[in-house]
Amino acid sequence: MHIPDGILPVWLWASGFLLMACLLAFSLYRLRGMDMKKKIPLLGVLSAVMLVAMTLEIIPIAYHLNLSVATGILLGPSLGFVAAVIVNLMLAFLGHGGITVIGLNTILLGAEAMLGHTFFYILTDKLSTYWRASLATVLALLLVSLLLITIVGISHVDPQAYRHERGHDAELERGHDAAVPSSLATFAIVVLSLGVIGWIIEGAITGAVIRFISQVRPDLLAHTLHKDTCRTDPSRCAP
Amino acid sequence: MIDVARVDYWAANGSGPFHRASVLSKLLFLAFVVAAAVASRDPYPLVAGTGMLIVLAALAGLPWAVIGALSLYAAVFALLYAVSLRGDGWTYALLLLKAVTPAYAVGMVIVSTPYPRIFSFLSAFLPEILAAGLFMTYRTLFLLLDMMDNFGTAIRLRGGFSPGNIVKNSRNVAKGIGGLLVRAVERSTRLYAVMVVRGYNGKMAETTVGAIGLNDWLPVGTGIAVLTTVILWR
Repeated sequence: MHIPDGILPVWLWASGFLLMACLLAFSLYRLRGMDMKKKIPLLGVLSAVMLVAMTLEIIPIAYHLNLSVATGILLGPSLGFVAAVIVNLMLAFLGHGGITVIGLNTILLGAEAMLGHTFFYILTDKLSTYWRASLATVLALLLVSLLLITIVGISHVDPQAYRHERGHDAELERGHDAAVPSSLATFAIVVLSLGVIGWIIEGAITGAVIRFISQVRPDLLAHTLHKDTCRTDPSRCAP
Repeated sequence: MIDVARVDYWAANGSGPFHRASVLSKLLFLAFVVAAAVASRDPYPLVAGTGMLIVLAALAGLPWAVIGALSLYAAVFALLYAVSLRGDGWTYALLLLKAVTPAYAVGMVIVSTPYPRIFSFLSAFLPEILAAGLFMTYRTLFLLLDMMDNFGTAIRLRGGFSPGNIVKNSRNVAKGIGGLLVRAVERSTRLYAVMVVRGYNGKMAETTVGAIGLNDWLPVGTGIAVLTTVILWR
């Protein structure tokens, strides 16, 4: 979800920037031994692939592909997070998302890449590549959607505060509010019910993409591309 | 998503007062408008602010109607967020304008400033990997969009697209994206080799912050006017 500017409270989007900066610093720290000159073209290309995938909209449910999990699987969690920062900066300057919420949007997109990568390697090798990638995608998107609902929940500004400034009668307003059910639940239902269709489609496409890559260019999944896996599990790295 | 190529064309080929202004002044303009949207507690000053922006865009020769359509994209997400609030029509109008006003300002900036100039400015403040990654992403995006367009044409001509058949379409789209990804990686490898031959040393971005000049009064003045309107209204 691309949250526009001016909606969320300042403390929340400022915290988003702070957290994004911390995660970015940590990612860059983990990448310090990597040959950056070689990674920058690849980072740019995969970030561009994410942006191109976002042009593919599934019209009936207004869902567009992200390919963030596929990017996470191919680039690794640290470089995947850097790709999320780049994509959100580009989106903000394409009029596709807010400037102030670059931090929060990056945390959401980066979490998809990092969680997707983690789930892909946690899931047992007994599953085929297709199912590992698909399940990793669905699980990552489910958790990120819950994170989104949490952010929206803790961000709620009080409409009553606006009305007081307009000098409305407080008693009338309280009566009005009592009649309106809490709509965070409605929001959660809308996001989760529409989201589940999107997750399944994204899971199926990510699974098929990763399977295709494993057949055509298996070296991309052998993780010579990023150092994180090489450092933690050298057996996965090609010599 | 917006037509990046068209936006790039407007940005590179205009000669109006907004095009002549520096990146610094246009980003200051953006910051003032975003600050106005954040500070506003009432939709009316934002209506006035958006009106000011539309008039300015029209007078500056910018595609004001297209920018308006572009800014409505933010409205869709604002409405989705509004669903989660216990508000009335007034609150929804405020949320909508808080989203649309900065989106309109972003539109004005991007149709009058080529992306490489924006990235050059940002690269003065961002880590090298991000600055270079932004340039590389921008450079590759057009190539990939073109490749994707060709793929879309090919899939239709060869009967790979069946309206209503999501399973078949998803399978074919996945193969297309997979092929695109593999070609993109190969392209990046070749690109890296070419860059090394040309003397690439890990630094790509030219860092240019610039300064405020005579051509910058319009964006800076407009941004201050929008913010002042909101502050005075409070």
